Amino acid sequence: MKSPHIYRLLGGAALVSLLSTPGCGDKGTAPTAAAPGLPAAEPISELTVARVDADLSKPDPDASYWRSSAPGAITLIAQPMIAPRPALVTTEKLILQAVHDGKHVAFRLSWADPEMSEAGGLGQYSDAVALQFPFNNEKLPPVMMGGDGDPVHIFHWRAQYQHDAEHGKPDMASLYPNASIDMYAMEFHDAPGGSRDEREMFNPGVALGNPQSFHKTAVDEIVSEGFSTSAVQAGHGSDGRGVWKDGSWSVVVTRAMTIDGGSTLAAGGKSAVSFAVWQGGQAEVGSRKSLYMNWLPLTVAP
Amino acid sequence: MSTVKNWQLGRDIAYPYDENRPKKQWAIVFDLNKCIACQTCTLACKTTWTSGKGQEYMFWNNVETKPWGGYPLAWDLRVLEKLGRQDWSANGEYLGKTLVEAAPPSERVLHWAPEDQDWMYPNIGEDDCAGGTVDGGGHMAQLPHDKWFFYLPRTCAHCTYPACLAACPRKAIYKREEDGIVLIDQTRCKGYGECVRACPYKKSMYNPWTRTSEKCIGCYPAVEQGVQPQCVVNCIGKIRVMGFINPPWSARADNPIDYLVHQKQIALPYYPQLGLEPNIYYIPPVHADPAYLEQMFGPRVHEAIERYRALPQDPVAAGLLCLIGSTDRILHRFKVERGIATGSDADGTELVSVPVTESIFERSAFDANLGVVRNNTP
Ligand code: SF4
Ligand code: SF4
Ligand code: SF4
Repeated sequence: MKSPHIYRLLGGAALVSLLSTPGCGDKGTAPTAAAPGLPAAEPISELTVARVDADLSKPDPDASYWRSSAPGAITLIAQPMIAPRPALVTTEKLILQAVHDGKHVAFRLSWADPEMSEAGGLGQYSDAVALQFPFNNEKLPPVMMGGDGDPVHIFHWRAQYQHDAEHGKPDMASLYPNASIDMYAMEFHDAPGGSRDEREMFNPGVALGNPQSFHKTAVDEIVSEGFSTSAVQAGHGSDGRGVWKDGSWSVVVTRAMTIDGGSTLAAGGKSAVSFAVWQGGQAEVGSRKSLYMNWLPLTVAP
Repeated sequence: MSTVKNWQLGRDIAYPYDENRPKKQWAIVFDLNKCIACQTCTLACKTTWTSGKGQEYMFWNNVETKPWGGYPLAWDLRVLEKLGRQDWSANGEYLGKTLVEAAPPSERVLHWAPEDQDWMYPNIGEDDCAGGTVDGGGHMAQLPHDKWFFYLPRTCAHCTYPACLAACPRKAIYKREEDGIVLIDQTRCKGYGECVRACPYKKSMYNPWTRTSEKCIGCYPAVEQGVQPQCVVNCIGKIRVMGFINPPWSARADNPIDYLVHQKQIALPYYPQLGLEPNIYYIPPVHADPAYLEQMFGPRVHEAIERYRALPQDPVAAGLLCLIGSTDRILHRFKVERGIATGSDADGTELVSVPVTESIFERSAFDANLGVVRNNTP
């Protein structure tokens, strides 16, 4: 199978050689063009979660404790397994930092994205990032969304969900301020005998309790046992906060270290993590994503 | 990728899932010669199903003027442009590629993705004519004249090989075994909008309030009770009939849909070359540009028009057309005997019978008994 990732790398190398000064000696490494807001980082093949003396229950991308964790870079590829998938990788480099306070573990994830996308209207998609942990730290599940009876635990942050958390779920008037709507037949709140069920009859996702249709906290918790099986679970207080600045995102996702019936990270222990990034501006959503194709070993400081 | 039989194209096609035809297949036949674009169907659907938040722009049923109209904007041109020129053989076999076959490896279905603006002009091009210019007045006195347009009412086609279903990575779309209706599971949909991108007919729509995609549900609650959909029973022009279609190898001449599509071959699927085996069928308009009609309905369109023109000589066909719009119930069988057309249920229970030719009564305008003048107001 031809890897779309390879195309992009070759294209990138060709571009670099056009731009580089003739006679420049070092041909071995192509310089990576970092977005202005992106921290400098060395490539890593495992990640250490540093212990800090702070309360990590709330996400804070600007906190000083992030200096305790040296930024490490991993390379993502375009999701290669199932269509629809991106023809080219959009997010090649993801920069990671991780800290814990004994109760919560927080990850700061940074990547270049030229435009900030919060979605909302038709045909618009949100920037997003997901972290995936194994249920079983000893015998890791299949990295692509787990396997049958071998679940993974996913924490999915979306700019759209953060917008919900900060400003409320946008109503139609804010999504389409120039639209005029005379009435919603089922929304006469004062109609005698009118019930909530009746009013929501014409909002199928809401009426059926689809988690997608409700106001979101910034992070969805998802359990998956393979492709097409992921299902949103009741959350365990995980939270996220992202800042987009100068062409890059910096997003913190924080979660409890111990989650009963879920994934667990223990101080002094080992686990693994994987990642996916979506660029809403490139119409990425669902299986259209850049991802890390391996489990990245995690060492949690005592 | 599986190989499945597509009778509309006269050949096997590629599809991501195996062939799995439902026990019965929902279908509508529309007589495009009779549609008046009153949009009663559109409003019947709208008031029944899509009056909620996020559904403001949705018309699961819409009626557009061809060739200029399109909801969303130029949906047909844009998907045909993507596919590029393809050909049919002289005997009606499709030589080109379907949307699944033409898709790049990274996609399930070749598609174009509409933006929100594309949905905002549902009535664009209404009543705009195509064809040559009119040199002088009185062009209506000479028939046929060179100006044409026609109205195209559209619902979801509850395709045998739905592109929406093929494209959903969550497998949240399913086709019902009992009637072939294609539904989006509103508890599983995550609003990725892959179905919105993939459906070439653009009959899957994103709801920005519920953040899920929604589509025509074939009025399944009515269909389950033996009643035709809202957009059918409310049709002012009585141009539509909903029933169940069989594939040609098990077609029954007494099934109204099979009769129109397979037996008489006057009703054709639209844009069959896209490869979905859509289950809305059209009796083509007799007066529109033949090349345009061929692009939309395939090479068999010209014979279909000839056969339609000859219908007045066929008492059975004429009888069936009289049954269309005469009952809300779904007709499974029909017969025409001694000038009476009768439609019946699956178990043979008679649902309706109508005279093929209405009796004509003549009387003088002045009623001498009552001493009044009567108008005829039909
Ligand atoms: S109600 Fe019937 S005649 Fe009127 S626009 Fe719809 S299909 Fe055409
Ligand atoms: S018309 Fe479109 S939405 Fe309807 S079944 Fe076919 S592909 Fe799906
Ligand atoms: S079949 Fe029902 S849901 Fe579909 S377009 Fe017609 S009225 Fe609307």
